Amino acid sequence: MPDVWWWGAWAAVVLLLVVLYVSWLAGRVGRLHRRAEAATAALDAALVRRAAAAALLADELAPAAPAPAAGLSAAARAAIEAAPDGREAAENDLTGALRRLPPRGPDPVPAWAGVVTASRRLGLARQVHTDVVRDALAVRRRVPVRLLGLARRHPAPSYFDVGDPVLDEAADPHRPTVPTRPDQATRA
Amino acid sequence: MRIGIVCPYSLDMPGGVQNHVQDLAEALIALGHEVSVLAPADENGPLPPYVVPAGRAVPVRYNGSVARLTFGPLSAARVRRWLHTGGFDVLHVHEPFTPSLSMLAVWAARGPVVATFHTAMTRSRTMAAAQGALQLILERITARIAVSELARKVQVEHLGGGAVEIPNGVAVARYARAQPLPGWPGPCHPGTGGALGFLGRFSEPRKGFPVLRDAFVRLAPRRPGLRLLVAGPGEIDEALAAVPAALHDRVTFLGRVAEPDKPRMLRSVDLYVAPNTGGESFGMILTEAMAAGTAVVATDLDAFRRVLDGAGELFPAGDPAALAAVLGRLLDDQPARAALAARAREVVAGFDWPVLARRVVEVYESAIEATGGGQPVVDEDLSEAPPVL
Repeated sequence: MPDVWWWGAWAAVVLLLVVLYVSWLAGRVGRLHRRAEAATAALDAALVRRAAAAALLADELAPAAPAPAAGLSAAARAAIEAAPDGREAAENDLTGALRRLPPRGPDPVPAWAGVVTASRRLGLARQVHTDVVRDALAVRRRVPVRLLGLARRHPAPSYFDVGDPVLDEAADPHRPTVPTRPDQATRA
Repeated sequence: MRIGIVCPYSLDMPGGVQNHVQDLAEALIALGHEVSVLAPADENGPLPPYVVPAGRAVPVRYNGSVARLTFGPLSAARVRRWLHTGGFDVLHVHEPFTPSLSMLAVWAARGPVVATFHTAMTRSRTMAAAQGALQLILERITARIAVSELARKVQVEHLGGGAVEIPNGVAVARYARAQPLPGWPGPCHPGTGGALGFLGRFSEPRKGFPVLRDAFVRLAPRRPGLRLLVAGPGEIDEALAAVPAALHDRVTFLGRVAEPDKPRMLRSVDLYVAPNTGGESFGMILTEAMAAGTAVVATDLDAFRRVLDGAGELFPAGDPAALAAVLGRLLDDQPARAALAARAREVVAGFDWPVLARRVVEVYESAIEATGGGQPVVDEDLSEAPPVL
């Protein structure tokens, strides 16, 4: 019965390839979801750091400009305390509050550099998070993943939909030859 | 921070990506980081101490230029060994979509991977056909950097996903203090004299040398003493064929200039001309000319306009008559040249390597944080694959 062996061997090879493919795909699904989780944690940390930097800036501005400082302080607190479903809006409000700060005089405001850096880092964390969430959601939509329920063990990651938090480049503290002019950033 | 950088192109050959990688590595080392660069290079050639050579490269035609690449099982083994012994906190690959060491490294690595995209490939057929395979590479990259707005647009439109824009840098201090070559640039007064510069592979059509040559041929008879300084590899006889014999002694070919001589060449001319007809995504040479304090005249390309940001004169692509007019006007107008050079110094400060290297480090930190933090980049080994049968 050589024919039967022949077909048996073929079936075994095909089965092996299918098993290899599925296990590889399961690994890919798992890896993307783990990365999405880690990126979410990093994004959360970046959001908290920006809110903290903004609160510090509000304290520093308070003596000279009490009204805008109070607004900024409230926005920072709202961002930290926001419930999960209101967090995107609260973070956008904080970005808006930072951009709306009135032009300041020539006195240096040390906390400003911290806010600019934290905002830029938040921009990076947001970028990384969006990319990996997109990849994870794309792999969930693949037919074999859906048919075999390979993503069942992993909760679907979700986008964190906020506007670009990066403040104006002119305020970048890393640009030594151009004097730092925080007023330009706030006018933008 | 321990940083592993992969350069896809051979360090034995000059090129934008290679220079970028070496300048970045040196700027990072100056900031106190430990850097190892894996690149195709001849093991017996002179190499900076931070470079790990990965063997000789084979020439491959790509995107209108000849690229030298290293790919295959032997290279894959070298990449794995380098990753394994490196213990890097972050892996930084350049041009991961070329079949090269970069692609191999992304494939083998786990943990934080940062990728820099240099080329602005607009709708390449290869890219569309290989979308599935590229997606597999892409999803192993934690954070992406694009060196230009155009390169970033390609990311967003064709690949889905964003990229942080960090431009190519230039070591401003090295350019600003370079000495001009002896006898250059010579006198330049209204109506006479002046030196024009061009640097690049002048035989390559998209570099646009013929446009500058034709403009020079128009301008030189009317302007005694006008000279043209050309640096870069190419066929000199071919380049001179369209120049009247009487003007031959006013064109100087330096041949290929070594990296340290580039600033000297750029400081040896009154006007640097970038007549490229297209295909440029950034315009590195413009930032270098700006750093050297030389006034720039460039083709009105989107990429060039962004880089110059008001620090140079633009002319319509491929138009020698318009170029000749701009050159004649600027050579007559010393204050205008000085104003362009002053604006250039302001603009180029944003491209200084120490400044950009800090921004790259921020991307590294974000990538490390986004992958859980603390785990070094390890090479993928078989123990991670699920048990089969």
